[in-house]
Amino acid sequence: MAEQVISPDLKFVEDVIASGGGDLKKCYQCATCTVVCNVTPDNKPFPRKEMIYAQWGIKDKLISNPDIWLCHQCSDCTAYCPRGAKPGEVLGAVRKLAIQHYSPTPLSKMVGDPKYLLILFAIPVLLFLSYIVPKGYLDFSAIPRGEDGGIVYSKFMPVFPQIDVTFGAAAFFAVVCFVLGIKRYWTDMNKGVSAQGNIADSIKATISEILAHKRFEKCNVTKDRKTAHLLVFYAFIGLAITTTLAIVYLYGFHYESPYPLYDPLKLIGNISALALLYGITSVTGNRLKNAEKAGKGSYFDWLFITVIYAIVVTGILSELLRLANIALLAYPIYFAHLVFVFFLFAYAPFSKMAHMVYRATAIVFAKHTGRDK
Amino acid sequence: MEKKYGVYICKGCGIGEGVNIEKLANNVKGMVCKTHDILCSPEGINLIKEDMKNEGVNAITIAACSPRVKTEEFDFPGALIERVNLREFVVWSHEPNNEETQSLAEDYLLMGIEKIKKGDLPEPNILQDLSSTILVIGGGVSGMNAAIEAANAGYKVVLVEKEAQLGGFANRLYKKIPTGEYFNKPLIVDTDIDKLIKEVESHPDIKVYKSSKIEKTEGQPGLYDVTVSTNGGSETIKIGAIVLATGWKPYDATKLDYLGYGKSQNVVTNIEFEEIAKKGNGKILRPSDGKEAKKVAFIQCAGQRDQNHLPYCSSMCCATSLKQARYVRQNNKDAVAMVLYKDIRTPGRLELYYKEAQNDPGVMLTKAEIKGVSDAGNGNLFIEAENTLLGEKIKLEADMVVLAAGMIPTTREPQEYLDGLTLAGTKGDEAKAKYIEETPKPEFILNLSYRQGPEIPSLEGAYGFADSNFICFPYETRRTGIYAAGGVRRPMDMSEAQDDAAGAAFKAIQCIDHVSRGVAVHPRAWDITFPDPLLIRCTSCKRCTEECPFGAIDEDEKGTPFYKINRCRRCGTCMGACPERIVSFKDYSVDIIGSMIKTIESPDEETIRIIALVCENDAYPALDTAALQRKKIDPAVRFIPLRCLGGMNLVWIADALSRGLDGVLLLGCKFGENYQCHFVKGSELANYRFGKVGETLNKLQLEAERVQLMQVAIAEYDKLPDMINEYVERVKEIGPNPFKGF
Repeated sequence: MAEQVISPDLKFVEDVIASGGGDLKKCYQCATCTVVCNVTPDNKPFPRKEMIYAQWGIKDKLISNPDIWLCHQCSDCTAYCPRGAKPGEVLGAVRKLAIQHYSPTPLSKMVGDPKYLLILFAIPVLLFLSYIVPKGYLDFSAIPRGEDGGIVYSKFMPVFPQIDVTFGAAAFFAVVCFVLGIKRYWTDMNKGVSAQGNIADSIKATISEILAHKRFEKCNVTKDRKTAHLLVFYAFIGLAITTTLAIVYLYGFHYESPYPLYDPLKLIGNISALALLYGITSVTGNRLKNAEKAGKGSYFDWLFITVIYAIVVTGILSELLRLANIALLAYPIYFAHLVFVFFLFAYAPFSKMAHMVYRATAIVFAKHTGRDK
Repeated sequence: MEKKYGVYICKGCGIGEGVNIEKLANNVKGMVCKTHDILCSPEGINLIKEDMKNEGVNAITIAACSPRVKTEEFDFPGALIERVNLREFVVWSHEPNNEETQSLAEDYLLMGIEKIKKGDLPEPNILQDLSSTILVIGGGVSGMNAAIEAANAGYKVVLVEKEAQLGGFANRLYKKIPTGEYFNKPLIVDTDIDKLIKEVESHPDIKVYKSSKIEKTEGQPGLYDVTVSTNGGSETIKIGAIVLATGWKPYDATKLDYLGYGKSQNVVTNIEFEEIAKKGNGKILRPSDGKEAKKVAFIQCAGQRDQNHLPYCSSMCCATSLKQARYVRQNNKDAVAMVLYKDIRTPGRLELYYKEAQNDPGVMLTKAEIKGVSDAGNGNLFIEAENTLLGEKIKLEADMVVLAAGMIPTTREPQEYLDGLTLAGTKGDEAKAKYIEETPKPEFILNLSYRQGPEIPSLEGAYGFADSNFICFPYETRRTGIYAAGGVRRPMDMSEAQDDAAGAAFKAIQCIDHVSRGVAVHPRAWDITFPDPLLIRCTSCKRCTEECPFGAIDEDEKGTPFYKINRCRRCGTCMGACPERIVSFKDYSVDIIGSMIKTIESPDEETIRIIALVCENDAYPALDTAALQRKKIDPAVRFIPLRCLGGMNLVWIADALSRGLDGVLLLGCKFGENYQCHFVKGSELANYRFGKVGETLNKLQLEAERVQLMQVAIAEYDKLPDMINEYVERVKEIGPNPFKGF
């Protein structure tokens, strides 16, 4: 047993409390949480040790710890905690702080803090306005129409360079941030731990586990989360395929939007959108239903859910309004849709969106080191 | 007293159905004998009262239920009363209407009649010139509250404090834990000790002696002569009862060097930490360099719950450290208080205080076993811990370390000194002289001029606290008339000490009231009998003076015992101790019990008869409860209650066996000074005497198994009948006593 020098970081404790772990200090370290957790490994189980680290502000032990990501916030711990310390929510808060810690820009603080919400939205709004205002497109009648007189969004906001360059840059920025963050995280995780086996096998096992959402099945209190999350997850994959197809259409075949509804791209896109709408509605419904037992969730969580909601609603409305040819509503809604998508992409490494990357990495690491079999 | 006997047999509660009452009544010869369907009814009571009035009946045998019930109904002032337990001991615990049950009822009735024939109506022994002034020793929170309670109840109070000012430990505290709600309220408040001091000092009925000590305490409850030395002079005051509120001392932290005490100035005790906070008016400036401490580690149970130091929990340290954590936090938002505990123990409402303290992000708590505290440079310290909940050893750095050292009662050091002296004395005069020369004499508190020593005697398991039986009798010490309150009684916090003070003050008042009426103070709080030795036959063997659990017997110059009757609790231990059998009570003596035993005879040479001498305080109620549950007991056994098994005299066993009874069973409580015994350790004393019973049995050529002592707790009523029945079976296997019929 290694002896570790502990230096409590009061600021970190306060951050956890402010980030959704408001009941952290109620914990009296009894380990009921660890006993009821179905997800934890038997050796050095969580979440009690994480609760102690968090109470004592031992930041480095927590954020570089893959266990915080092995936790899927089933909230069984929260439901059974005799003191109402809500370990599930505390770990959620710790994960937020881990994301912030490993993303190397000031944006990380801003995404987690409602104070900066307006600024974060102002960036894409001003950016997109800068494209349309010089052309006088604030007057919707000035916007060119398609050959059949219908609304064509690419004439309002050209795909190239405005949209693709903007989102391409945003995506690039996100990817760079992720790569840097994951690199630091991976290095931290490796300290004092020796890996074993083939990393490729660990990755393969991780992917198959994520695709099947197996871990969610172990949850008790929030059993129904699996379907909801699975729908959102596959909807995102569908939308990714749609985007890829759109790029292929445009740059491969010079085939410009809008595409007819029977087109495979449209079919996949619309089905994914409906799946996402249903999925994110279920996520919200489950959260509200389980709030009493599992906790209300943090700003960080709800911001992410709201943005996805906004994207899917504005996306579907954009399409419907375009088809209905209601210019007065169609353009503003489409504009909003672009703003929300930008929000999701550009801020992904700092928002809860980052969980997919960090959690996947942590699971790979855990499998690779024999922590998770 | 000219006795006119009356025997009254009740038929109620199943007695009439289980026993042939007419046949039973036929055993009563030459005295009034009446039966009644429900003797405890107004008509039944009236029957007895009429006989008292018209026939002059004044020695009443009531054969009905257990003497432990219906005490108010069967109370006839001016008459000698004997209760025969037909209900519990006969009909509820035996098969109805058979020969053995009938014989049992007859034997009990005859024993009762024999007892009342031998007994006399007691007259209370009321001593003259009694004082009703209450002396309170110690002017801390406990002592001052005791003084106020007693004075407000109308008694004159003398308060003696050894320091120059009142207040005790509270003077040294920066703040205290509030006693109201904790939620959303300040968690530290002023002690307000000044207000209490003012109240005491301005009370017209409290006389305060400061910078004073008790030089000598002579006498007995109601008649103490207490010499107080003050300002070079001394004064002797008449005192009725004493409240001992001398409190506690912090455990000697120099014994905790493994926790860094004495090695670093920045390792302090919880009391020293209070003084630092008080001096800095809330600012925690550490001793080594006066720097403000921002990272303070609190080590709980420092030398407590630890066999090498104090084996007990001082109960207030957890809450105190949580309070002191607030001191660390209140002036400094960045400061942290790290509390390392074995278990957090915040009894009662203090649990809510703990919860509130926990909510402060800067109060960090965890379970840890501290292995050591070492220097970390710059006056800082490393604390090394293992067995943490993290499953790892940890090392913490702190600016300052506070040791939650425990409380030791002020009575402990004198006790240890005196026990050492007694031990040295057993090794000879030389060893004793050497001990006196070499051992530093601690400060004595009471300086009693008692044969058994100048202080409250030590009690196994009390760890020096002034206690006698905390389960049943809080405040009672082993010196009648001296009542302990506060930290000298058991570890406690200030608010508990306040309540404790009221309890002890009222016990002192009860004592004064009882001695003024010649009634035993405790626990036989109704008893007006008292030991009346026939000193002319005393051989000055000193057994009684040594064995009296309460130091009630002193000796004169010749070594003759000299009873201080107001100290006596009427347990009869001296009666059992006396080899000359000269100690008697009016209704309880070697002769009375012996005569009762002699009334029992086997109907034939084959029928087994056993007597059981039963402790009144535990075994007897256990038998009653077993009967209430209708548990069956072999009808060969006749129970005779004793005030305490410590009063057991060997002659009873010898008499019983030589008269042909088949066995003697002794039912006492658990051995040791383990708080079960009402009279400290009567059962163990009986066992000690019992060790000599072998000789008697040898002389009679009888089997040792015929006589047995069993330890029974009041709660063991479910096991007791089986224990007794198994014993009876063993005696039956041995066979009838060959002396039968001689």
